Amino acid sequence: MQRETRIAHYVVGTLTALSLVLLSLPLSSPVRSFKACASYLFDPLAYEGERGYRKIAETPSRVGELLSADIRNRRLQEELRGTVWLKATVETLSLENERLRRALGLKAPAGRYPLWAHVMERDPLHWYRSVSVDAGADRGVSLNDSVLGRKGDVPVALGRVVDVRPYTSTVLLLTDERSAAAAYLSSGTLEGLAQGEDGPHLRMNYLNSEARLVLGDTVYTSPTSATFPPDILIGRIAKVYPRDPFLTFQSVEVDPALDATSLQEVLILRAHPPRDAASESRPSLPEVPVEPPVVSSAAAVSPRPRRRRSVVVSTGTPAGLEAIPVDSQDAPR
Amino acid sequence: MKPLRSTGFFVGAMFLQWWWNTHLSYWGAAPQFLLTLTVFLAARRSAVSTMLVGFVWGLYSDVLRADLFGADALLYVLAAYTAGAVRKQIDLRAAGPLAAVVLILSWAYVVLIGILGLIFGNSFFWVGGVAAFFTPVLNAVVAGAAALVWGLRGED
Repeated sequence: MQRETRIAHYVVGTLTALSLVLLSLPLSSPVRSFKACASYLFDPLAYEGERGYRKIAETPSRVGELLSADIRNRRLQEELRGTVWLKATVETLSLENERLRRALGLKAPAGRYPLWAHVMERDPLHWYRSVSVDAGADRGVSLNDSVLGRKGDVPVALGRVVDVRPYTSTVLLLTDERSAAAAYLSSGTLEGLAQGEDGPHLRMNYLNSEARLVLGDTVYTSPTSATFPPDILIGRIAKVYPRDPFLTFQSVEVDPALDATSLQEVLILRAHPPRDAASESRPSLPEVPVEPPVVSSAAAVSPRPRRRRSVVVSTGTPAGLEAIPVDSQDAPR
Repeated sequence: MKPLRSTGFFVGAMFLQWWWNTHLSYWGAAPQFLLTLTVFLAARRSAVSTMLVGFVWGLYSDVLRADLFGADALLYVLAAYTAGAVRKQIDLRAAGPLAAVVLILSWAYVVLIGILGLIFGNSFFWVGGVAAFFTPVLNAVVAGAAALVWGLRGED
């Protein structure tokens, strides 16, 4: 204990003397050098401490900036994604607008209530048979409503509604083998029955066996059609089949004016008025009768008399002339 | 204390003193952590080693001030010596006695630094009314808190 006390005395005496020396020689060179050395040793503490303090003090603001930047980044990414969607939507709407703008030139017949609908489904196994559209009973669609398409500004017969669901409908295309429509050729008064073949073409039967048929002749729906309004374009003659000596009529192959595989919108001519105006959210066409198509001079000179729903054609059977329903869309075979 | 821990404590105390003086000093009043810890260590550790530590801490304080280089070193050494002598009579491990001794030594520091200024600087160095009154109180509070924390941790 005594030894430690003695050492403590020595130490305090030494350090006191040293301190007094430092105090008594403030301007002497050795003291300045010592102070400079001590400053050099201790300065990093203050310098680095100040830097560290600044970093620590700035941490909350930096974290805040980081969070705000992250939030801003996420919002911008979201907006960017929305912009991409918006761009795609605008492009789609632009195309649709262009189509519909041209389609507004179409005119619907009196007594029919037009409704545009989108094609939403096609069965790959029955490509030429039917399509589903996004209009159903909720929008006043009913069974056997005729369905038209558009080629440029010209309406084209497509088929009829065979199944009506609450919000969708199924359209049986003319190219389905169960479809048939009374039709006439624009080059004259020849009338026949355009029937589907489950392929891209139609077959028009029951044409007068003595008539001279011309390739490229235009085929229109007949006024006798039970489903379609009269004078709606169906297609053009693509091929004249050789005459069968055992049949009393000729047949031609008709190339449809509108490829069913390219359909995007269809015009449904509803037989009944819509139940309420609210269901008419889409643009529809003015209810003006369809203007008759431009036909050949022969047809123009002798206007076709409007007939009723059936026509008498020769079937070549021993029974001779036989009345058959020309529009088998009403009664599928 | 282990060497690494001792070194961390030694440097950390200097850093704390600088940081508090720089950023948390109001009207010149700030606790003298180095002086307080010198007395605190002298009450618990060897007076010799504490005087050495106090001398270095005093030099550090002198470096941070522009005048009277060596004054803090001298006063810290004397404070450690005094605390080492007092602890033979009073138990300075308790917070109250330690705070009282720190309070007295802090006021002694204020007076002695003025006297040293008068001797070596030709004028009585007055630290200011606020600092002269509040700094010893703050030192006593720090010493008491340190003693309590030290006691709670169960360290000798």
